[in-house]
Amino acid sequence: MINRDLITRNINSRNTSNTYLPHPAVITEVITENSQIKTFVLEFTDKTLNTNFSYESGQFVMLSVPHHGEAPISISSTPTRPGNIHLSVRIAGRLTTALHKMEPGMTLGIRGPYGRPFPVHIMEGRDLLFVAGGIGLAPLRSVINYCLDRTGRYGTMTILYGSRLPSDIAFRQDLDIWSTLPGITCLTTVDTPEPGWTGHVGVVTTLWDHIQISPSDCTALVCGPPMMIKFVLRDLAGMSFSPDFVITTMERHMKCGVGLCGHCYMGGKLVCTDGPVFSMAELKDMDIEELR
Amino acid sequence: MTNSIEELRGAEVIMVIGSNTTEAHPQVARRLVAAVDNGKNLIVIDPRRTAISEFADIHLQIRPGTDIPLLNAMMRIILDENLIDDVFIEMRTENFSSLRDSLYTMDLNELIAITGVTAEAIGQAARMYARAQKGVICYCLGITQHICGTGNVESIANLAMITGNVEQSFTGVNPLRGQNNVQGACDMGALPGVFPGYQPVQDLETRKKFERAWKKSLPENLGMTLMQMTHSGRDGQIRAMFIMGENPVLSDPHASLVKETLEGLDFLAVSDIFLTETAELADVVFPAASFAEKDGTVTNSERRVQLMRRAILPIGKCRTDSDIIMELSKRMGYRMDYEDMAEVMEEIALLTPIYGGIYHDRLEKDWGLQWPCTDRNHPGTPYLHKYSFTRGKGRFVPAEHHPPDESPDSEYPFLLMTGRVYHHYHTGTMTRTSEMLEREAPRAVLEIHPDDAGSLNIRKGDMVKISSKRGSIEIEAEPTTRVMKKSLYTSFNFRETPVNILTNPAMDPVAECPEYKICAVKVEKVGHNE
Amino acid sequence: MNEKFILRKDHLTGFLRKLSKGHRLVAPVRNRYGDLMFQVIDSLETTDLDLSEQAQESPKAFFLPQEEVLFSYEASGGIYDFRPINNSEQTVYFGLRSCDISAILYMDVIFLRSPRDDHYMKKRKDSILISIGCNTPGENCFCNATRTGPFLEYGFDLQFTDLGDRFFVESGRARGDEIFSEWPQFFHPVTEEDVRLQYQLALEAKAGFRRQIHVEPAFSKLRDDAVDTAVWREMASRCDGCGGCAYICPTCTCFTIFDRMESTETGKRIRAWDSCTHAGFTRMAGGHNPVDMKIDALRRRFMHKLYYDYSAFRRPSCVGCGRCVDMCFGGVDIVKFIDIVCAGTRKRTRDSRRILGDLLLEAGLISRTDLEKALSRQADTGEALGKILMDLGLVTCAEILGVLSLENM
Repeated sequence: MINRDLITRNINSRNTSNTYLPHPAVITEVITENSQIKTFVLEFTDKTLNTNFSYESGQFVMLSVPHHGEAPISISSTPTRPGNIHLSVRIAGRLTTALHKMEPGMTLGIRGPYGRPFPVHIMEGRDLLFVAGGIGLAPLRSVINYCLDRTGRYGTMTILYGSRLPSDIAFRQDLDIWSTLPGITCLTTVDTPEPGWTGHVGVVTTLWDHIQISPSDCTALVCGPPMMIKFVLRDLAGMSFSPDFVITTMERHMKCGVGLCGHCYMGGKLVCTDGPVFSMAELKDMDIEELR
Repeated sequence: MTNSIEELRGAEVIMVIGSNTTEAHPQVARRLVAAVDNGKNLIVIDPRRTAISEFADIHLQIRPGTDIPLLNAMMRIILDENLIDDVFIEMRTENFSSLRDSLYTMDLNELIAITGVTAEAIGQAARMYARAQKGVICYCLGITQHICGTGNVESIANLAMITGNVEQSFTGVNPLRGQNNVQGACDMGALPGVFPGYQPVQDLETRKKFERAWKKSLPENLGMTLMQMTHSGRDGQIRAMFIMGENPVLSDPHASLVKETLEGLDFLAVSDIFLTETAELADVVFPAASFAEKDGTVTNSERRVQLMRRAILPIGKCRTDSDIIMELSKRMGYRMDYEDMAEVMEEIALLTPIYGGIYHDRLEKDWGLQWPCTDRNHPGTPYLHKYSFTRGKGRFVPAEHHPPDESPDSEYPFLLMTGRVYHHYHTGTMTRTSEMLEREAPRAVLEIHPDDAGSLNIRKGDMVKISSKRGSIEIEAEPTTRVMKKSLYTSFNFRETPVNILTNPAMDPVAECPEYKICAVKVEKVGHNE
Repeated sequence: MNEKFILRKDHLTGFLRKLSKGHRLVAPVRNRYGDLMFQVIDSLETTDLDLSEQAQESPKAFFLPQEEVLFSYEASGGIYDFRPINNSEQTVYFGLRSCDISAILYMDVIFLRSPRDDHYMKKRKDSILISIGCNTPGENCFCNATRTGPFLEYGFDLQFTDLGDRFFVESGRARGDEIFSEWPQFFHPVTEEDVRLQYQLALEAKAGFRRQIHVEPAFSKLRDDAVDTAVWREMASRCDGCGGCAYICPTCTCFTIFDRMESTETGKRIRAWDSCTHAGFTRMAGGHNPVDMKIDALRRRFMHKLYYDYSAFRRPSCVGCGRCVDMCFGGVDIVKFIDIVCAGTRKRTRDSRRILGDLLLEAGLISRTDLEKALSRQADTGEALGKILMDLGLVTCAEILGVLSLENM
């Protein structure tokens, strides 16, 4: 049995003179993923920082947009491909609306990375099941590409991705690549079909019948809206997945990212420093509103 | 208020009618909660299940606009069960027989049926209030903003007088005045027919007194009411207007007519601390200083005059209200040479008997003085009508049910009530610029009973269109049992959902207060708000 | 450290004048409305310090201001620059209470863990903390229950005790010793009589609490999730979400961050106090709120203060200052909460009665007759069993706490 302490607490913050001071970063490319989601490719203006900036899959940064404050955004690129970072952002509030209007050449502010990453070391040698819904694929994209880049260290990989509508399917470039790679099963499904859609219809948990997994050898990584997480975790528990090998991410309102502001307080833990990655075993011990 | 806010603690029974006290008057609400915690009884009369109603021993959830029948029913029960205060009625009131006769002609069951509340609950409330040695009534805009607002208030006074619940501490009738200085503005004569201190304009002696002080002849006619000024239409009688610190484009009923009226003026000047929707229509805008940038006094709901000190100098080019008025006056050929606000206060004391003993130096310490305060040695007056009413004897004025100006019909089947939210002040001119307050309450929602929502296929978060005869707005729906079936409720604080486009400018003929609380509307679902 | 001296009251102003050279002086002053507030003292001649009681607000705002500029920024064209700001000043805080000191120690735990909050750290480094023990605890005080007063063993640079015409002054940190050695002219050696008197006053103060509050039992009830939903519901119905409890609380450190635009190109990033009872505290962009109900927000608040922090740091993040008692408009103060939790609902009382009664029996502290007597009185009055047993003089509070903590082990 692997101790859950193996998922170590990680506060990977650089000691700047001011905890809250961001670093300017230039947008080099904007990829429109769907009508709601864009991926921003960013490079730090400070060349040394850009080269030395290190992070792990599952971590997030605090992103500053001029006059709109900050928001936590998970990094959707993989540390195995350095030189820039990708932030995939769905339009939700004022800050993200302003961000979506920004173009290459414009500057944003970034501080971080923060938070506990995915426990890639305990995943080694095991089959991997990724279950994502909507923007939830952003952090998983990072870890999927990470695992792909470290060939031979992981078993078979299964990716399940649910969207509301066919036109909502984001990260198509990635999905297309993953679908063609050997050793990967990549299935997408939509809640509501549109004309011309020939793929799966139904919530993501309807895909269980279409895949083959061996729960005892498999680690599941689940990321998406709270409702989806709730039902996927329930089903995985039903399939006898060990709670230590079911990994998910929690989302909370955050202001500081470094464990001080209190907004992301959840069942005695702080999502920003104790999470956002949690194992199901850990969540069981916590009092979490949406999983009740 | 006839009482002081602090006195509410000592009442045995407190009746709150037409007041969402928790959200609109939190400082009063905290005394109500404290009173309940000390074993006192609370009766709440409100068509909505408000936060304060959760503390009530009895909550009478009446149909909107049926206050008079309810109060008449209570009084009839009090009369039938002989719970009236004979001595008080005899010694201190007049015209009781007309109230009694009027109540006897009414059919109790009919009155009760109009209110939609059970006879049992009304009886309980009537007995609880009438039997109290010390009973207090608090009312607010849920009473006054009706076409029968005057009748509503008179009925409340009737109820208090037949039970003798006036004239001592911990008894009385208390209109909860809004904001920090609505009372003060009225005290200073910001009403069409009176000089400061409610001295009638038409009284020759009074007029002479003010003419002597101001060295100008003063008009003897009554002025116009707010509604007459803001609803006269594009070609109204008034051709120029100066609006200070008010945003009628959002706050007055039938807002489209208000806008039309203001746009039709030859000249409009507005003074406000932010560029309001009204200021956007103005030819000239005066940037005004905020409360923190000026000296002066405010008078609150319990007639307490309090001194406010400037904390910072006016920012940028803004100027204080008094500075703007004095400068304008000077340019228009009348010099106002007040050195400071203390000098203005001296003039108020000189000309206004109820403020006769109120000077800045007396306000320095403690928490101010409550008027009437007639001379320098007068300690102020915590509660009014101690030994006699202002007008001598309290006069009973019977009232009959007056249905709302607009009743639901097949086209507009819902009754819409309007009110305020805790976090915002009036049209949000100031509060919505606060990051925190705006975060707490970023939008208005339409409260609708879940059964009504169900039959219209409306779920929480859906956008709905509500329309009255005068216009329509789109707003997010929130199904809740806080409102009764066929009633709707929302707040007017938000410019995105300017609910006063819908409201009815029909008004009480005496007070000329519009019927904000009731208008007939229809509801349609338009989409889902993500 | 822990040196002790006597400072004559006549010499206090002179001492403070020396201290305030090169330092800003912050001390309690009564304003014209009669409120006692910590203020920056510009002139010792024209300002009367008032050490008679606990100040209305804690000195929290000096370390975590209600609004604080984190940095300023410039954003134009492709530029987005950030300029750090120093908000700190060398300051002597005089007249802090033991609860105030304890609250600062708690804030240290929060803000000086890794990663450190630089703004807070700077202010703390720049501060000298001089407290005065409470000879007479205030009306709502219960620092005896939270073990944060009325006198402290550590945490202060200097601690004063009022001995009438003189102060007994002890140092708790090297910084305090430095003050003694820098201005020795003010300090006289203590006599045995002084030591005895100080000890006696501290002892008497402990007996002077009017509120008897039991934090440990509340902690175990929260741990066991033994608080009835009805209690939470009652609390929620009374909460207006005004945030007053968090703002007045000396250990509530939650904050929000936002930008204040000053021109199209410039602005400031501000941090401001926030409160977990605010509806928007947990609402995410787009409107989803995982803690949507007031009942959840209140539950979270009290769980945090009385249980999670207790588990993490072995002390509740409540220093027993009692300030929130008067603040709440709906009567949802922590004291009432603890009382209700300890009293429990009727059903809970029955459960805990068996447990507590049995525990005391087992420990041999009461007889079965005693217990039955107390239980029958409880059936009449509905009071907590522990309280009845104490009222009857059968057990002491310490004994009850003792068996309960044995039970908890």
